[in-house]
Amino acid sequence: MSTESMAVGDHSTTHDDDHEHHPTAKTYWLTFLALVILTALEVAWSYLGLSGVALVLPLLIMMVIKFAIVAGVFMHLYTDLNILNGHWFTVAFGIAIGLAVSVYVVVFAAFQFNI
Amino acid sequence: MAEAIIDQAATPVADEHHEGHYTSLGLSNMKLAMWLFLGSEVLLFGALISTYLLSKTRFLTELVAGNPEVVAGISNDENAELVNEMITKGSVEPLFDIPFTSLSSFILLMSSLTMVLAHKSVTEGNYKNLRIWLSTTMLLGATFMAGQVYEFTTFYREGLTYDGSLLGTAFYTLTGFHGAHVTGGLIMLGSLIYLSFKGRMQKDRAETVELVGLYWHFVDIVWVLIFTIVYLIH
Amino acid sequence: MAIVEQEPLALPAGEPSRSARPLGVFSRPRNTTGLKNWLTSVDHKKIGIMYGVASLFFLLWGGVPALLIRLQLARPNQGLLSGDAYNQIFTMHGTVMVFLVVMPMGAAFANYLLPLQIGARDVAFPRINAFSFWVFLAGGIMLNTSWFLGGGPDGGWFNYAPNNGIAYSPGIGIDFWNVALMIAGFGSLTGAVNLITTVLNMRAPGMTWMRLPVFTWMTLVTQFLLLFAIPVLTVAQLLLLFDRRFDGNFFNVAQGADPLLWQHLFWIFGHPEVYLMILPAFGIVSEVIPAFARKPIFGYPFMVFSGIAIGFMGWGVWAHHMFVSGIGPLSVTAFAVATMFIAVPTGVKVLNWMATLWGGKLILNTAMLFSIGLVTQFTLGGLSGVSHAIAPADTQQTDTYYIVAHFHYVLFGGALFGFYSGLYFWWPKAFGYKLNEKIGKWNFWTMVLGFNLTFGPMHILGLQGMPRRMQTYDTSQGFNTWNMWATIGSFILAFATLSILYNALVSYLGWRRAGRPNPGPDPWDARSLEWSIQSPTPEHNFDVTPTVTSLDDWWYHKYQEDENGVLRRVASSKELAQPGNGEGVHLPAPSYWPIIVAFSLPIIGYGLIFSLWLCIPGVFLLLAAMYGWSLEPADDLDQDHHSEPEPELAQTHG
Ligand SMILES: [Cu+2]
Repeated sequence: MSTESMAVGDHSTTHDDDHEHHPTAKTYWLTFLALVILTALEVAWSYLGLSGVALVLPLLIMMVIKFAIVAGVFMHLYTDLNILNGHWFTVAFGIAIGLAVSVYVVVFAAFQFNI
Repeated sequence: MAEAIIDQAATPVADEHHEGHYTSLGLSNMKLAMWLFLGSEVLLFGALISTYLLSKTRFLTELVAGNPEVVAGISNDENAELVNEMITKGSVEPLFDIPFTSLSSFILLMSSLTMVLAHKSVTEGNYKNLRIWLSTTMLLGATFMAGQVYEFTTFYREGLTYDGSLLGTAFYTLTGFHGAHVTGGLIMLGSLIYLSFKGRMQKDRAETVELVGLYWHFVDIVWVLIFTIVYLIH
Repeated sequence: MAIVEQEPLALPAGEPSRSARPLGVFSRPRNTTGLKNWLTSVDHKKIGIMYGVASLFFLLWGGVPALLIRLQLARPNQGLLSGDAYNQIFTMHGTVMVFLVVMPMGAAFANYLLPLQIGARDVAFPRINAFSFWVFLAGGIMLNTSWFLGGGPDGGWFNYAPNNGIAYSPGIGIDFWNVALMIAGFGSLTGAVNLITTVLNMRAPGMTWMRLPVFTWMTLVTQFLLLFAIPVLTVAQLLLLFDRRFDGNFFNVAQGADPLLWQHLFWIFGHPEVYLMILPAFGIVSEVIPAFARKPIFGYPFMVFSGIAIGFMGWGVWAHHMFVSGIGPLSVTAFAVATMFIAVPTGVKVLNWMATLWGGKLILNTAMLFSIGLVTQFTLGGLSGVSHAIAPADTQQTDTYYIVAHFHYVLFGGALFGFYSGLYFWWPKAFGYKLNEKIGKWNFWTMVLGFNLTFGPMHILGLQGMPRRMQTYDTSQGFNTWNMWATIGSFILAFATLSILYNALVSYLGWRRAGRPNPGPDPWDARSLEWSIQSPTPEHNFDVTPTVTSLDDWWYHKYQEDENGVLRRVASSKELAQPGNGEGVHLPAPSYWPIIVAFSLPIIGYGLIFSLWLCIPGVFLLLAAMYGWSLEPADDLDQDHHSEPEPELAQTHG
């Protein structure tokens, strides 16, 4: 059995062992700092008394950046994407999530503008 | 062959730093499954957030138009001033306490940092730090929940009841659902701490910590969205 | 939250060793037989069979209300069923058929076949697999208990708001619909995570994407649709739950709500739902037709990519169910165009099946007949479907029997014909004997006759203006003749549907009388990996993980080109098939926890409907069972299948 087990192990497509995949503690702290600064910016922006696109658009942009930072660094998405090496599955999954979310945007638009 | 089936069927790739087991994608089953589950959760929260946005818009439209049932639904004996402010501003902003919620957001972001440091500790074999960071994460998460309970009671006293208005229903459902996810995460964190004290959460199980972390960060991300979309874009 | 297969957390980290006592692990089922074996099994084949049995049972169970509907409508002005009873009956017919028949039947084939077709021992998470089945069954049973606990749901399977609100449906039927389907949906979700992980991660060496059998591909797309569609329905159901049980206002028009939100959420789920019901059947047909046309599938990449295209495009057409709901002109136009486009990949599939048949040496056995039946009947349903894309025409057709005719042509003529084809095709693989061909052909032809007689006239009735969901009609409306024909047809159809059970019984008895002859590993001389192992499938599937070098790898082991480029048989299936020797194979161990976790959910569900106090023991049981689950090692260390026994280890903790 153990030989067969080895045989299966030989097909292993795992990544090179020496490479340090996960970021350092310093990166994590800096990431946190960036998130705090962005949050502070968001709150400040909301107090400027703006409305409409001038209020919403910058807030949404900052929100998306925060989203990307947490997913990328804390959830190791950037390094795990390396593991999958830009695998088509990752791309397809990302597109699927994007399209799925856009479905809700369409619903909201249909209500909001009665198109 | 015995090992092969166990590896494929049940055991995750222990850790990226160790020699992995065969999976077709090179990502462990557990991690792949967690990502798929989170992908499905995106749709869940997407629907809840859309429902909130739609409900809030409809509520404000009717409120500003002076629909008597909608006005009555948000009014109690003491909040005439608040309701008037909402009507004149055409916004739910008078209800919110942005500085307080900003602090809550800060606490939850901080808990993501401590979570990721916990994972780092376990990959380095530093189990004392693992327990410290996990406990900090749990404490921060619990503080966030306490903040939510405080916020709910305040809003309730201000006149935003669950069954009184469309806004109340949508707001409490969305934020409550997020709170339920945080609570689920707290239970997982507590279990990890317990297992770590029992010596069952060691370096080769770093992935278990990472998986709980993935879930925890996802819940944090949802709050990033809720904070901006619900609280700041009022 | 996340119930995931774990390393044995109950044991100390590092190599599994028995030096320390495991945490909180109770004794687990061992060497069980009979019922207990099935209840605790984590074997994907047994789970697949249980899915199949449950969905066949629900097929008969959901067929009874269908016959009641047809009896009520056989003649004008009948009073067999009251309006209220009629509402409950058509609602339960639709709900049972969609959620408890077609979806689990797809899951049955997926569970049984996916690991076999990709060359794996089991799915990625065997205990989650068992959980998915039991939670589906728990939800299904809970839904049907509504008949005895205050009446069935009466809002239609789509359950539109605000008609589903407490004001218009004050009974508890809709709460059952809501909660039970949420529970069953949870099983679909975990099943989707599990099966996607399996296909993505557990393919045999050399089983690349463009070598996957078409059935595996279609199931993969199906599971992705489930993964993303189920949460949307769950949210809609949550909103309704909060409205009905906790006085929420999501669909309360008096508080300014827009009940159209329900239709959007429901159909964002609902349209992917119709594709995830039909795609497994498309996959089955794509396996059966090449096997009996004695040709490889025509245009394999087109088959695959059209399936993926359907998966993506299925998300962009939901509002074609809402053309008369008052959505704006731009929405109507956009969704009408998108709906016309989605017919293209489906058309590609139909053309590919026909091209596979073209010039083949056709073997017209029952499995093949049912597949050809799907191609023809589904195409008719697809054509009436395209006619809905023309929004002005759809405005006339909405809520008439024309729609009823359409979706029965795609779901019965499509999905169910495909499933029957699959049952006849894979029956010997699962049970070790073939179904009787003569009864099978009777089964097929009576089904075609009954099916077209039942649903064909509904096109005419619909165009004449007969509305759906109406309890009766008047002679003056001119619907009499065709309704009578449809009722006659429905009884022929019921007889045909049942005859597969009769066939199974007769074939089994005949096989037993003949001394249980083995059908051999490859009774149809077919193409994919499941035919390279013995029938019925050995418990461990493959003795040795196969290495794959081409599409239809198994076929090209049997047939190779000679010097003239002509395919010739080089070896028999019996010579090539794996002998079924499972020595030294260590299988995932059975477990009590999946069924316990699954049946703790309806306790919470009943609590939500009757009394919140009941939720407390339910949640307690759920949490306890989830802890038991995650502490229990996925493989039983005390139950060693290794060929060299390790006595000290076995005795340390016996
Ligand atoms: Cu549709």
